[in-house]
Amino acid sequence: MPDNAESGARVANREGFAARIPRDAIAGAGVLVFCVAVYLVTLTFKEAPAVIAQNVQPATFPRMVLVVMAVLAGIIIFQSFRTRDKPKKPLKPMVWLSAMVMPGFVIAFYLLGILPAMILLCFFLPLLWGERRFRIIVPYSIVFPAAIYLLFVTVLKVHFEPSPLAFW
Amino acid sequence: MDTFLAAASEFSDPFMIFVILAGTVGGVLVGAMPGLSSTMATALLLPFTMTMEPIPAIALLSTLYCAGTFGGSITAILVNAPGAPPAAATAFDGYPLAQQGRAGLALGIATVSSTIGGIFSIIVLIVAAPMLARVAYDFGPPEYFALALFGLSMLASISGESAFKNLLGGAFGVLLATIGMDFTTGVDRFTFGFYELTEGVHFIPVMIGLFAGAEFLTQANSLDRVTVRAVLEAVKLPRWADFRKTLGTVARSCGIGAFIGLLPAEGGTVAAMIGYNEAKRWAKDKSLFGKGDIRGIAGPETANNAATGAAMVPTLALGIPGSATTAVILAALLVHGLRPGPHLFNETPTLLYGIFIAMLLANLMFMGLGLLGAKLFARVTLIPTRFLWPAVFILACIGSYALNQSIMDVWIMVIAGIGGFFLKRYGFSAAPIIMGLILGELVESSLKQSLIIFDHNWLRFFERPIVVVFVLLTVLSMAMPLIGGYRARLRAKMPPSADIPGD
Repeated sequence: MPDNAESGARVANREGFAARIPRDAIAGAGVLVFCVAVYLVTLTFKEAPAVIAQNVQPATFPRMVLVVMAVLAGIIIFQSFRTRDKPKKPLKPMVWLSAMVMPGFVIAFYLLGILPAMILLCFFLPLLWGERRFRIIVPYSIVFPAAIYLLFVTVLKVHFEPSPLAFW
Repeated sequence: MDTFLAAASEFSDPFMIFVILAGTVGGVLVGAMPGLSSTMATALLLPFTMTMEPIPAIALLSTLYCAGTFGGSITAILVNAPGAPPAAATAFDGYPLAQQGRAGLALGIATVSSTIGGIFSIIVLIVAAPMLARVAYDFGPPEYFALALFGLSMLASISGESAFKNLLGGAFGVLLATIGMDFTTGVDRFTFGFYELTEGVHFIPVMIGLFAGAEFLTQANSLDRVTVRAVLEAVKLPRWADFRKTLGTVARSCGIGAFIGLLPAEGGTVAAMIGYNEAKRWAKDKSLFGKGDIRGIAGPETANNAATGAAMVPTLALGIPGSATTAVILAALLVHGLRPGPHLFNETPTLLYGIFIAMLLANLMFMGLGLLGAKLFARVTLIPTRFLWPAVFILACIGSYALNQSIMDVWIMVIAGIGGFFLKRYGFSAAPIIMGLILGELVESSLKQSLIIFDHNWLRFFERPIVVVFVLLTVLSMAMPLIGGYRARLRAKMPPSADIPGD
């Protein structure tokens, strides 16, 4: 176990109760919870007739993998108390906003169609990221989506589903 | 010989030359751009190749792979920001040399070493792939199971924070591979009522998410980063004295890179790190390492390029990817209806020779491009992040969609991207998850078939000599990081003057 000074250094950028637990221990515990949850899901799998399954039911292999994962997570938790955490820079709010943009784009893709979704992303994401040169943003948000759309639709023959809101 | 001539005749078509040139230029550009890697680029490019004939499609991805591995060195030397992970070790001595006003020499060494390593790896590919394919004719399900297990165990020693995290990532990938209908019983697993998941999770959206999606968020976290660029006047060819100084390092790194590349799941990044360490270890005068020693550039650059062709050997001969990028090439082969393995060598030899020739041409082309156009390629770092990454994200989404024309694949990419970003923060690498996902189906199917063959008697696995060899290799590969960790701890406890025997 590291001494107190090391423990303090380990969690320089965390506070309170969390500061006493190594980061890897938290990750390992998360994996264990995940394994338990997924194991419970495997209990809902249908049983196959023995003649088809040949003693290997659909849940057998996933459960074996989950056991391996749980053992590895246990080792990671054990190891985490023997090593020091490297201090990590906290995440900037922009990461969370950008992470929300990702599913937002897929929803726009589904609801509005690919071309409007691309135009919106190319216009608003640079703005969100601090770009203010509209003389670049405006042509970028028109030319790039149009080029990509033409390439995929006309050259690569990719079919994009019409959006449910494509009345306009 | 007839097959070789037939493959060579494909390259008399101007379109093929265009494909090789586009792949090489694109690869160098992508490799040079920090954050973009050849793995990500091949994954993004895969949908574009679906409408192409198999030879140009695979040639394009292979050339992109070769050139992308080299391209990372340009920004590693000029900007101290490796364009791709395999070039990380190049920055240790490349950037200090550039700061001394000798960026041209550093790039010249990197270009020539990369070309030598790349051409050596193609020779290894031409010699070793058919040999391995012949051996693979004797493989049955138990051998494939042991081989896949060995491939997964190799994850313990690939780069990353911890061997156990890599293994856990691999196991998670295998678990992802169980999503969908169980192929023996027809029972749905983890589909949660989504019929799109019945056929399972394709690894391309997961790969695009883990690489491009996660990097998109990484870039969002570093928008205020300022890049300091070293001045580059002209790229210089190494003088004879420089060449003589690096000759031993280059020869050693050729062997290291080719060996590492041949191992399943290992790739250029590991080869480059070992190439750098060995260059330093064998040097009589180590004082300049880290301050601008040309051997510190030649070592990793030769090794990472020597791993490229070698990594294609297990991919083509066994269907086990030698690296993350070759996993995409493997997927491209499958998309075009080609099953990697021994039969590929009998049924489509023209394609194989086509890949060999394309990779050879790519190496020669990037040597020319590197010597003449490095200054130009380095300017890709001037593309503002605020415009580049929205474009990459759009390509990631459309690339994921185009594979099966399914919005579910786009969701999978987004989930993998966000998940991959947080996994990376906790020290989990993307490559093991991809490897697990690719090998998962092989592990499960070969295990089930083996158990049926052996009447559920696990001990009968050890009646097969090839299985025993792979099991021993698996134990060894998993033990190596533990032994390494023990030795490192022992070394840390010893006084500075003490030496560990065998070091």
